[in-house]
Amino acid sequence: MPSTQHTDNLIGGLARQAGSSLVADPRAFKTVLIVATLCSLGISVALVLALIGSRPDFAAAEHRAALVYKIVSMLMLSLGGLFLASRAALPGSGRLTLAALVPAVIVLGFRAVTDRSGLSALGGSASSTYGCVLIIVGASFLPLVILLRVLRIGAPTRPALTGAIAGLLAGALGATAYAIACRNDGGLYVAIWYPVGVLVMAALGAAIGRRVLAW
Amino acid sequence: MRAERRGDAVAYERLLKEIAVVLRGLIRSRLARAGLNLEEAEDVVQEILIGLHSKRHTWDDTRPFMPWLYTITRYKFIDTTRSLGREAARRANITMEEMAEMFEAPTEDPDRTLLDIDRHLADLPPGQRQVVRALGVEGATVRATAEQLQTSEGSVRVLYHRALRRLMAKSQGSDNR
Repeated sequence: MPSTQHTDNLIGGLARQAGSSLVADPRAFKTVLIVATLCSLGISVALVLALIGSRPDFAAAEHRAALVYKIVSMLMLSLGGLFLASRAALPGSGRLTLAALVPAVIVLGFRAVTDRSGLSALGGSASSTYGCVLIIVGASFLPLVILLRVLRIGAPTRPALTGAIAGLLAGALGATAYAIACRNDGGLYVAIWYPVGVLVMAALGAAIGRRVLAW
Repeated sequence: MRAERRGDAVAYERLLKEIAVVLRGLIRSRLARAGLNLEEAEDVVQEILIGLHSKRHTWDDTRPFMPWLYTITRYKFIDTTRSLGREAARRANITMEEMAEMFEAPTEDPDRTLLDIDRHLADLPPGQRQVVRALGVEGATVRATAEQLQTSEGSVRVLYHRALRRLMAKSQGSDNR
């Protein structure tokens, strides 16, 4: 059959490329992903510092607990996102389980419930919440672009979902960076508005990922 | 696949050819039901092979090969058949079970096997014959067959594989005559 012969020729050509993968195996891919994530965090921090600068009372003791909570919860979210991103880009490497996000949710929830500072869930000023979400998105956009580019090296078989995960990761990194400048320490505030920023990024990631991650 | 990472082109080529044979069998029978011809089926096979090759670096060699193979095959299959219309692609969807079963049976020309089976079915013990008829010929699911024969799904699978092996051995034996 002529077309079967054509396939055999194709196979011959493919076989000649044996051993020539640029990124050789999943371990190499994960390394690239981790490096990209760390660079993205650095970029987010640089952007936050450049755009609005750290909060004036950054080193003050009374804010330290809040700062720690913000950073720890967002770093946990980033780790969960990184874990999911790796699985999403490597077929057969495991299910995409929401359990990866549970640690972050627990920390946020715990802080929201135990926070006795009485700070408002809407922040210090009328525009606090908008500013928070906006800055998180602003600090996360370039990381999203970078992460999507790296995920393309893998084999994402659910482009929209993978894009959403990339957005989640980028948003969590941006939110981690934002903690440096954020002036609102209320537990409930952080538990609501930081995730809102992350979710906006996830939606953005899904929309872009649908096109960009197909192969 | 591990050989491919070491640069062993011969082993890799053999693997791709085996995959091609199985895919071809699955896809031809599936797409025929959706009204597609052999040329288009071959195009789908080629697209899947290219996809597997371009993403070969994503298989973790400490993990099973089949889930990786299946996931990429399914993705490429849906992608390629999308242009053929949503209805056709949905009807033609291959399951992981079917792919795994095709790979476990010794590789043979799928068309020839179908012709031989009718002749050899009679030689099978009744249990195996029933299972092959239900699963292989009538296309029932493992669960339905287990219910029908009042046995477990595991027994159905075991009988099916034993029967297939017996049939393959038989048809290879008849070739050597």
